[in-house]
Amino acid sequence: MNRPESNTKYEKNILRANGLVRVYGGVRALDGLDLEIERDKIHCIIGPNGAGKSTFFKMLMGIEKPTSGKVIFDGKDVTRLPTYARARLGMAIKFQAMQVFQELSVYQNLFIPLRRHYKPRDISGQAKSLLNQLHLEGTEEVTVGDLSHGQQQWLAIGMSLAAEPTLLLLDEPTAGMSQDETRLTSSIIQKLNHDGVTVVVIEHDMEFIRNLNSTTSVLHYGQLFAQGTFSEIEQNDEVRRIYMGTL
Amino acid sequence: MNTSSGSKLDKYLGPLNGPQTMGRRLPFWLGFLVVIALLALAPEYLRRYDIINFSNFLISGFLALSLSLIWGYCGILSLGQAAFFGIGGYAYGIVALNLLNLHGNTDVAFIAGIIVPVIFAAIIGGIMFYARLRGVYIAILMLVVSLLIGMFMRQTADPSYTLGEAYLGGMNGLRPASASAPLLPSLIFGIGDSVIELDGRSVSFYYFVLGLLTITYLGLRCLVNSSYGYILVGCRENPDRTETFGYDVRLIQLSVFCLAAAIAGLSGVLYTAWGTYIHPDGFGVGPNILVVIWVAVGGRKDLGCALIGALVLEWASLRLVSEGEIALLVLGAILVFAMLLAPRGLAITLADYFNKAELLLRARLSTGNGVSRKNEE
Ligand SMILES: Nc1ncnc2c1ncn2[C@@H]1O[C@H](COP(=O)(O)OP(=O)(O)O)[C@@H](O)[C@H]1O
Ligand SMILES: [Mg+2]
Repeated sequence: MNRPESNTKYEKNILRANGLVRVYGGVRALDGLDLEIERDKIHCIIGPNGAGKSTFFKMLMGIEKPTSGKVIFDGKDVTRLPTYARARLGMAIKFQAMQVFQELSVYQNLFIPLRRHYKPRDISGQAKSLLNQLHLEGTEEVTVGDLSHGQQQWLAIGMSLAAEPTLLLLDEPTAGMSQDETRLTSSIIQKLNHDGVTVVVIEHDMEFIRNLNSTTSVLHYGQLFAQGTFSEIEQNDEVRRIYMGTL
Repeated sequence: MNTSSGSKLDKYLGPLNGPQTMGRRLPFWLGFLVVIALLALAPEYLRRYDIINFSNFLISGFLALSLSLIWGYCGILSLGQAAFFGIGGYAYGIVALNLLNLHGNTDVAFIAGIIVPVIFAAIIGGIMFYARLRGVYIAILMLVVSLLIGMFMRQTADPSYTLGEAYLGGMNGLRPASASAPLLPSLIFGIGDSVIELDGRSVSFYYFVLGLLTITYLGLRCLVNSSYGYILVGCRENPDRTETFGYDVRLIQLSVFCLAAAIAGLSGVLYTAWGTYIHPDGFGVGPNILVVIWVAVGGRKDLGCALIGALVLEWASLRLVSEGEIALLVLGAILVFAMLLAPRGLAITLADYFNKAELLLRARLSTGNGVSRKNEE
């Protein structure tokens, strides 16, 4: 808690997970996971179903607390901090489950996250610029339940961006998207990263990850199984084997 | 923000109107004025006996508003909302019995009847929300709290249970501790040197309650349509998600829970002043569930619909009670049917139909004009 904050700006890794363990009943969803995320980069996480990827994100954001282990964000131990405090430090997330307010309008969906950072009179302008960024222009009055699956994913990303986070966690952002939508999502993420947001993406779509061409970590049974560039990972026989086993 | 509603109206009613309340166009506000006028003129066309009952219906309205606020807007279902009503009523009575002879008015008692439930809500709510309890756990815990208070109050028949001039009185309810103590009073406001006394059975008391209810309703409309209201709705729809935006959801839940306790407490104060008695039955299962029924049948997600639910059901059950027990069974059956037919609430569903019909009519009128012009050519 009282570690010096002055050097945080120069720390190369924006996020570090040390020996994260999370036990659900008899299941060790995370089993001593060590992972570092480099600042200002895109980082992809892959792994078979049940590998513990979503659980990892929940620990990072503090939705649930780890059984043991630490989460260090910006040089600060945030393991015991509640979710809202992490958000205020600059973390944002889009969970795997669709996390938009289905019954509300697109505008209201954006109003809620934007209101923490802007005065009411500035919000409609901010909402407009977010919607432009996400290929959702003109949808303000639409009820979110009436948007397509892909549009809802983008809106969910937009809501997470409202706070202008420094670290954005995206859990399967392209699930249910068409190929075109997936490609657009890829360019949205690259643009965000270009603007200085560190992005961690959990994905299954290999084309999508190849396209992002960034450091990729493979999770397996709650541990870091392999790490490298996407082409290294692609050629790793061990990785191929664990994917074969489950697919 | 409300591109679909009349812009001129929004200019004057700005903070009252918004997506968090259903009625926001001209027909609603006209209807609202008509209802207020009918209620204001009620003493002209109703018997005194009915006015006394109407005061009581309106007092229930506060309780319905308070539950709609936490349940309908913030997603916190409490099966113990009547507890704050009871606490407010007892607090008012206890303070009034002790201070009436001293002050000659019930000003402090009136305030105590609102503050004490808030303190209580802050403690119990603080524990619940900071322990991150949710959903059915809160609902049941609040019912248990209410039942426990009721059980305690019921066994206070022993004369040792006195607080100054107030004797808790067990099942028989709150009463003076000694012959020299005053009786449980109606509202007596002291402003400067003048004293305004509002007898619970009087027309002026009825007007006071009507005015207060109108102000509370309009005030809450402003609140739920403000930024705070948006965030309440965020907490209702998905508290975890709302927290990831940087909101301390526990604090928001606690704040709205306390506000609702204040309104429920006010309801209890008015009830005690209305009947000049308060007894432990109000903490029981029945009264607690009744509040939920009013709000559910009216429509929890709209303040006005919840209010209508309380007023209409209270009126209907009083009507039916004189027809005997079987009539109440009929009412119960109607309620079950209503919930099946309109799970979001009867008033909300009707308001929805009305909205759609109005929009359709408007569309018809505008295209209808076009057609008739063409025909004229
Ligand atoms: N809330 C929970 N309760 C019980 N088990 C859970 C819970 N969340 C996840 N798990 C288990 O933990 C393991 C990892 O799940 P998850 O992190 O969702 O995997 P992934 O996202 O990699 O597919 C799975 O075996 C899953 O069944
Ligand atoms: Mg997952």
